[in-house]
Amino acid sequence: MYGKGLRPLSIATVAAIVASLSLVFFYAPLDADQGFIQKIFYLHVPLAIVALIGFVVGGVFAIAHLRSGNSRWDAYSYVSIHMSVIFGVAVLITGSIWAKASWGHWWVWDEPTLVSFLIVFLMYATYYPFRYAIEDRERQARYASVFAITAGAFVPLNFMAVRMAQSLVHPRVFATTNGGLPGSMMLAFLASLLAIGLLWVTLVKFELTAKSASGQLKRLRRALDAPAPGGRSRVAPEVS
Amino acid sequence: MLALLAATPALPLDEAGKYVAGAYVVFLALIVVYVAIMAAKLQRIERELSELARFAETRSNGGQTAPGRGGEEPSISDSLAPHGAEEAAPYE
Repeated sequence: MYGKGLRPLSIATVAAIVASLSLVFFYAPLDADQGFIQKIFYLHVPLAIVALIGFVVGGVFAIAHLRSGNSRWDAYSYVSIHMSVIFGVAVLITGSIWAKASWGHWWVWDEPTLVSFLIVFLMYATYYPFRYAIEDRERQARYASVFAITAGAFVPLNFMAVRMAQSLVHPRVFATTNGGLPGSMMLAFLASLLAIGLLWVTLVKFELTAKSASGQLKRLRRALDAPAPGGRSRVAPEVS
Repeated sequence: MLALLAATPALPLDEAGKYVAGAYVVFLALIVVYVAIMAAKLQRIERELSELARFAETRSNGGQTAPGRGGEEPSISDSLAPHGAEEAAPYE
């Protein structure tokens, strides 16, 4: 079921990535202040936005799981958080490269944007040991959902805190006054955001499909291990 | 394709170029590693599925148990999946 539509989605993602890279490198002008280094912005910022939204989405799926008790939502929540953690690794690495190129340091501790993202990332890094420390599967899913909701609520709070913290090092480039992005840069940025968002959705769908196949395989094993009454097949009908 | 590349404006790949290239290559590498891991998992699933298909074909000849981990404790790789989800088979 999860594999449905994966191929067109993958094609759309690749097309969006190619289009966004073309816009970033051949259409958007060089930044007057940072020059070519600023091209990292079109990768780093969309990755961060998509990762943070992914964490919140994981929390929303966790709410659906707790409300309905349907473990399908737990799987959605798990995969959303998993993918956002991977994107979070990319955010931290690309951010460090950008910091080294711009500021001469791989990491700056007095910059609230960096430190707050690191806190969010480390918080979600504890999701895995927390989840798998619980053996009972129902409790594991329930506690993981509580974690996902609590941590997901923390993400927008963290975002607002950073916005309120005035810093000259991380200017708010989306403001309409003083430092707003010009149209061509904004177009390239939005194209990048769309491409990274599509990539996140595609990879989530890909992982859900793989987990679905793995789960069906286990059911097939159980069905084949069980005695077949009346010689009728107990193999799950959806697996051919 | 070559004509298209020739027509594109040259990128200022000076000192900054290596950092920009590094950032994009790291991202690409992360995605490639992830996709490779997922591809390996899918290959394993495909292999186990063909094993089970062979077993199902020969099952009527004797009282065998399914090959692999059917009646056993789940392996480490199994435990990495969200357990509650797989146990209740939510992926139908």
